[in-house]
Amino acid sequence: MPKSDLYAGIGLMVFGLITLFVLIPTQTSDGGDASISPALLPQICAVCITGLAVLLTMQAAGKLKRGKAAGQAVPKAEWISSVAVIAAVGVAVLLFKYVNPAVAAGLLILGLMLYMGERRIYFLVGIPAFLLIGAWLLFYKVLGTAIG
Amino acid sequence: MLEELYSVAGSAFAIGNLAWILFGVTLGYLVGALPGLGKGTATAVAIPLTFYLEPLSAIAFLVGISKGSTAGSAVSAILLNTPGEPSSTPTAMAGYPLARAGKAQKALKMGLFASVLGDLFSTIVLILVAQELAEYALGIGPVELTAILAFSMVFIAGLSGRSMLKGLIAGLFGILISCMGLEIETGSPRLTFGLIELYDGLPLIPVAIGMLALSEMMIQIGQRQRLADEADLLKGSSKREDQIVTLADWKNCIRPIVRGSLIGTVVGILPGLGASVGSFLSYGAERRASGRGADFEESGAIEGVAAAESADNAVVPASLVPLFAIGIPGSVIAAILIGAFTIQGITPGPLLFLENKDLILGVYVSMLAASVMLLFIGYFGQNMFARIVRISPALIMPIVVFLCCIGAYLQGGGTFGIGVMIVFGIIGFFSKKYDFSFVTFLIGFVIGPSFELSLRQSLGLVTDLPELLDHPVAIVFAVLAVVGVWRLTVLQRKQMAEMAKAETN
Repeated sequence: MPKSDLYAGIGLMVFGLITLFVLIPTQTSDGGDASISPALLPQICAVCITGLAVLLTMQAAGKLKRGKAAGQAVPKAEWISSVAVIAAVGVAVLLFKYVNPAVAAGLLILGLMLYMGERRIYFLVGIPAFLLIGAWLLFYKVLGTAIG
Repeated sequence: MLEELYSVAGSAFAIGNLAWILFGVTLGYLVGALPGLGKGTATAVAIPLTFYLEPLSAIAFLVGISKGSTAGSAVSAILLNTPGEPSSTPTAMAGYPLARAGKAQKALKMGLFASVLGDLFSTIVLILVAQELAEYALGIGPVELTAILAFSMVFIAGLSGRSMLKGLIAGLFGILISCMGLEIETGSPRLTFGLIELYDGLPLIPVAIGMLALSEMMIQIGQRQRLADEADLLKGSSKREDQIVTLADWKNCIRPIVRGSLIGTVVGILPGLGASVGSFLSYGAERRASGRGADFEESGAIEGVAAAESADNAVVPASLVPLFAIGIPGSVIAAILIGAFTIQGITPGPLLFLENKDLILGVYVSMLAASVMLLFIGYFGQNMFARIVRISPALIMPIVVFLCCIGAYLQGGGTFGIGVMIVFGIIGFFSKKYDFSFVTFLIGFVIGPSFELSLRQSLGLVTDLPELLDHPVAIVFAVLAVVGVWRLTVLQRKQMAEMAKAETN
């Protein structure tokens, strides 16, 4: 039975408390002569998020107690694909920084095409080449700026 | 008003501007027609293209994209049973059975006509209403504005998802995230974690691209097999009456189109309801009026396509009413347009009609021109778009991910922008899968700074509670916000109970 609402509620509760007692005090100045503390709005948000997360947790726990689903399940394929997309973009950023922008962009497109099952060689070569030339034209010729 | 519109027609009808509108509508239609891609993705990814455009061309281009993609999403809904976005689901329900019966051309044509009529009607309402509302909004003080913004957030949170609790959490999270950067009164860093890149706050475009486009790609790539399978189920027909919209079809559809346009316009003006509510309401009304029951979906219904499409397309222009008049983005498109306005150095809101009147009038004329272009591009490009929906997702999705990176890189200060996009892509994925309204989050993020400013000014003006009595409008909106939380929660519980009952049956 899906329990995503319960986990989300607990996670948000922890997030709200950390924001309230750790992040806001350490990451916000006291405001000095300011009429209203800079921490006011973040504190209001964090308190409300924590309070609402408590309600969400209680609601989800109540549903589970009654034998009802609390939230929904995400198909395994979507989890895998989301990890794959994030990993591909993450690797492309590293390649961009430490190797070369063209290599990063080319491998990002090629990697995702291969991951999605594309095996036709003319597309595997043609689409990255077309996009790289397009990006080069956009950056270097139209916008007049360099990449990397 | 007509005279004013006529006075700016010269700049709006300049060849360069018309070319950008045409490009926007065509690109939007193309992206909308592709399975799994919607107007949010199309508009967010296209923003970087507007950096070096004149303000009028930039806004007109983006509005053209949003109009084109809204209408174009009917193509994949009817032909593949794969709506580009949730608001096209009723179109798929009524139109896909027609396509499988060999009447795809008829359904596509009626969908297009209904889209254009709904869009045109709503654009005219925008032109007539926004300025009047803005004149009233100019008299609104910070106390009233705080109450109106709080009310809008509650309203949006309650109506843009299935759970008021989750909607409110999403909206508050958006406001909290908007607090990152230099604080407005003291100028001291707040929640910046020592990163200089965060001193100006999180950049809107990478956040929007992550929440809307990248997260959608993460989901769609996981559903790629289903997208590919749907394309194989279509049938053709050689009968002429199956390919054209006949007079009888028009007689059947004119009433749903009028009703749909009205529903879509009203839904669009109210912040947060969104195109899905509009198209489902209109479709439901037509289904009930037809008396056909389940046959409506089993055999397909051209009236259903007309009802859903007219409402879906009427929502987009109408959702610009609160943006132009009060500065509150009522939809995802409006939130993204704020980013585009900001790039051009313009702040949406009531002052827009005083400081940038020619621009707004030019946008109006451009929107009308976009409606006409939509008709021509949709009609003459129908066969081409019908072929495009069959392009393998394995070719489309990597291109979109690449464009997301380009957009985030350009507007987010290099690889930092891509990092922001990745983080919000992950947050967007979770919010979409677990029903934490990403619309409410984005709107909270966009209105956060105005909310903080007006809240601070209000706290300076109202030091004692009795002083609040001097602001009756604020009291009304504050009460409405509280009542809204209560009523919308009750309404959602009822809906959930009905859905559970329907599932059991």
